[in-house]
Amino acid sequence: MNIELTQIIPELIIASAICLLILINSLIPSKKRYSGLIIGSLTMLSCAFVSFLFLLDPTNSFIFNDHYRIDHLAMGLKFVTYLGSLMIFIGTTTNKDNAKSELILLELFAILGVSILASANNMLTLYLGLETLTLSMYGLVASKRSSEIATESAMKFFILGAIASAIFLYGVSYIYGLYGTLFFGEFNDVTINNSIEMQLALAFIICGIAFKFGAVPFHSWVPDSYQGASTSSALFISTIPKIGAFALIYRLLFEAFIANVEFWSLLLLLLGLLSLIIGNLIAIAQDNLRRLLGYSAIGNIGFILIAFSIGTTEGVIASLVGLIIYFFNTAVAFMSLEVISSENRAVVSLSDIKDLNSSHPWISLIILFAMFSMVGIPPLIGFYAKWIVLSELINADMLIIALIGIIISVIAAFYYLRVVWYMYFEKNELPIMQGSSNILQKISLSIIGLMIVILGLYPSPIIDFCRFIISPFLLID
Amino acid sequence: MIIDQLIWIPILTGLFVLAIGEKRSNISYLLSLFISSALFFLSVYMYFIFDNSLSSFQFELKVPWIERFNINYHLGIDGISLPLIMLTAFLSPIVIYTAKTSPKNKMHQYIASFLILEGMMIGVFSSLDAFLFYVFWEAMLIPMFLIIGVWGGKNRIYATVKFFLYTFLGSVFMLIAIIYLYTKTGSYSITDFYTNSLSLNQQILIFLAFLFAFAVKIPMWPVHTWLPDAHVEAPTGGSVILAAILLKMGGYGFLRFSLPITPDASLTMAPIMIALSLIAIIYIGLVALAQTDMKKLIAYSSISHMGFVTLGCFVFFLQSSSLDLDTINLAISGAMIQMISHGLISAALFLSIGVMYDRLHTRNIDDYGGIVTVMPKFSVLMVFFALSNAALPGTSGFVGELTVILASFKVNIYIALLSALTLIIGAAYTLWMIKRVIFGAVINEKINSQEDMKLIEAIPLSLIALFILLLGVWPKLLTDTMNATILVLSNMVSG
Repeated sequence: MNIELTQIIPELIIASAICLLILINSLIPSKKRYSGLIIGSLTMLSCAFVSFLFLLDPTNSFIFNDHYRIDHLAMGLKFVTYLGSLMIFIGTTTNKDNAKSELILLELFAILGVSILASANNMLTLYLGLETLTLSMYGLVASKRSSEIATESAMKFFILGAIASAIFLYGVSYIYGLYGTLFFGEFNDVTINNSIEMQLALAFIICGIAFKFGAVPFHSWVPDSYQGASTSSALFISTIPKIGAFALIYRLLFEAFIANVEFWSLLLLLLGLLSLIIGNLIAIAQDNLRRLLGYSAIGNIGFILIAFSIGTTEGVIASLVGLIIYFFNTAVAFMSLEVISSENRAVVSLSDIKDLNSSHPWISLIILFAMFSMVGIPPLIGFYAKWIVLSELINADMLIIALIGIIISVIAAFYYLRVVWYMYFEKNELPIMQGSSNILQKISLSIIGLMIVILGLYPSPIIDFCRFIISPFLLID
Repeated sequence: MIIDQLIWIPILTGLFVLAIGEKRSNISYLLSLFISSALFFLSVYMYFIFDNSLSSFQFELKVPWIERFNINYHLGIDGISLPLIMLTAFLSPIVIYTAKTSPKNKMHQYIASFLILEGMMIGVFSSLDAFLFYVFWEAMLIPMFLIIGVWGGKNRIYATVKFFLYTFLGSVFMLIAIIYLYTKTGSYSITDFYTNSLSLNQQILIFLAFLFAFAVKIPMWPVHTWLPDAHVEAPTGGSVILAAILLKMGGYGFLRFSLPITPDASLTMAPIMIALSLIAIIYIGLVALAQTDMKKLIAYSSISHMGFVTLGCFVFFLQSSSLDLDTINLAISGAMIQMISHGLISAALFLSIGVMYDRLHTRNIDDYGGIVTVMPKFSVLMVFFALSNAALPGTSGFVGELTVILASFKVNIYIALLSALTLIIGAAYTLWMIKRVIFGAVINEKINSQEDMKLIEAIPLSLIALFILLLGVWPKLLTDTMNATILVLSNMVSG
């Protein structure tokens, strides 16, 4: 038992931090402002450290009667989650938001959900993680209580999310009916290949996953909730849950139902292409920066799903590389929005960043990096996300998909360029705005902004890391 | 490593200039000027230690970069890349120098963009790894996008977005081709691509993908429409770099990638390429004749002149019997000389237009006339550049065009005759512009109050004039460096 508990130290830390935070919030209201940030950051720091130690000495063990699995992938994804959350906590903390402590609390719950997802080895454990994640996301979107848009988008998100969870669960019930078990490891023992019930079950499950990713046609909540949520929540829900969703498709599709690879890869390809095309095309028409980033996220997810749909280990690695790089770009974009916003003037639309270069040359440069990175211009990391996916597509003889992918990225370049041209080319008559950010935010933004360039010049760490956490399963092929 | 320094010193200087900010523009200006001039002398030094007799790559540097995909940071130069690197290193200090003569806001960013661009351009010309090549090739778009967009004319945003999207669309196809070649050879090294064994159909697909990228960059008719817009809107320095160096990358791409990697496809596609080149030479030349904006006229003239480069790269494929090595050598040398020569001449013409624009703030030919009466010194240089643009013997423009026409004669007399039309059309549009701008009566009263060119404006123009003359009377300086490399290339193409 003790050995089993040591395996889930990160989860235990998070759970105790949650309890502590609830206590602090209810008992010592005056300390509210910083307690969340400090506890959250320390928790993430220690979790990241612990999961890093696990990664150094990897095991592949099943605990809690096979319900829970600790392996490279689980620890790797957890490590990314914790590190990313740490970055988000530090980078987007604003003093003005007095509900901050609750936000961190909700975010910690979501992180716990992602951790469970990453380690799940049973459909029920998986669902437990999924709902822990999703329920806290509803709260995050709704957290700006005074805002009408926030309430509306939270409502939309909740209704759609509930339906998606129900569909997912329905698919799971089919699986149970077909196999008589919920353990992932046992699905491969029985061969129920491509019967109509099996396909139906997989289709339901994929619908649920697509909702979590925000892939077309399950994407309508994405731009709304990005717009409605506060910046830090928007950044959080645009990144961390995607890691959970990746764990979901990896565990379910690539490990448990690899026998049905032909069927699910087709579905994922379809979802990926739709997201890629529709997300990027709609983004062109957006003037609101948050919505623009929302649609851009849909387009990026499209690329990630297409990579996954190749159905080989290399494709999965490319998909994970794409996800991590997406994480960096999104983080920089949202964090810079937060840095240049001020108490009385939030940066909402493109016209708010007119001539930003004159007042904030350094922040503009960082946004410029992020935008060109998303366009896919080397040597910024965004390029490697596109390149590695294209490489695997061409390697798998899917040249047509690769061509569609690049043509869409050229079209998508337009709206990223628009952000740059508003910052650099437009002249602004309004007085120069002053951001109300603190130094901590600026530093963390600068660090991540520089990472876009540095990792772009030397991308091997990201690629090798993704290979490392997925490679033990090379044997499955 | 000398190439390494040529790439990274300007980029690092550019970052430094960005970092010390707007208030210290003067220091950054002097520093950048000093560094970029020093780099030119470094490239001259490289020219002297470069061994002309070797056909292999020299000053090679190879460091593993992304090992998983067998990508190396692999640099090296041969006879084709050396002249282009020298051209880049020569024009960059000039462009930075002229930043002072026409004052700009945010000058530190302007200078930094050019410095970073310089490093990247040299990187393009010296990469021996296709992946690295692509990285430099695409990265260049960022500073160029900003240069046109921030410091350009009235319609700059349209022009710069069009420039960006056009070139980006072209180059992503090249990326696909490079990745495809990687899946076939297991390496991103360009020299490994040379020894592939692809079927004709595969070659044609790869050729077309590369063609997309290079044709947009050069640019060839009908994908040239971004160029006049970009040139007209770009600030003087931007036009100079665009015309003198960025366009050459297309030609360099043909010589480095298309011809040696896909020789069979080049043979098959040669008639189309020659037809497109002739259209560029003649039709675009006629279009230039109709222009009323000086920059636009020179832009169209650039497209027309670059037609000679593409003609030189492909004309020898049309030989009726087996491919004759001498003809190939002649044609490719012609293309190379034409590139260098056009780089100098177009740079000089854009700088001259910049000198006039700084005074009268118009580029419209009708607003000028009689410049010679108030600016005699300037007029001498301007007329000289115009004559070299019209391929006057004794200037480098003549050598390049003559060599290509000679090679065409050996292949097919009709192609030669058609391409030789440029001597008439080119003279017509250039000299007619000169007649209307420099000579004639002064119509615009503002002209009377202008002063002649100052010494600081004369220095860069005279330097370029010197090189145009030098290459015109002594082209051996250039051809000696290239001969060994071109011979190898010819063998690859014909074998």
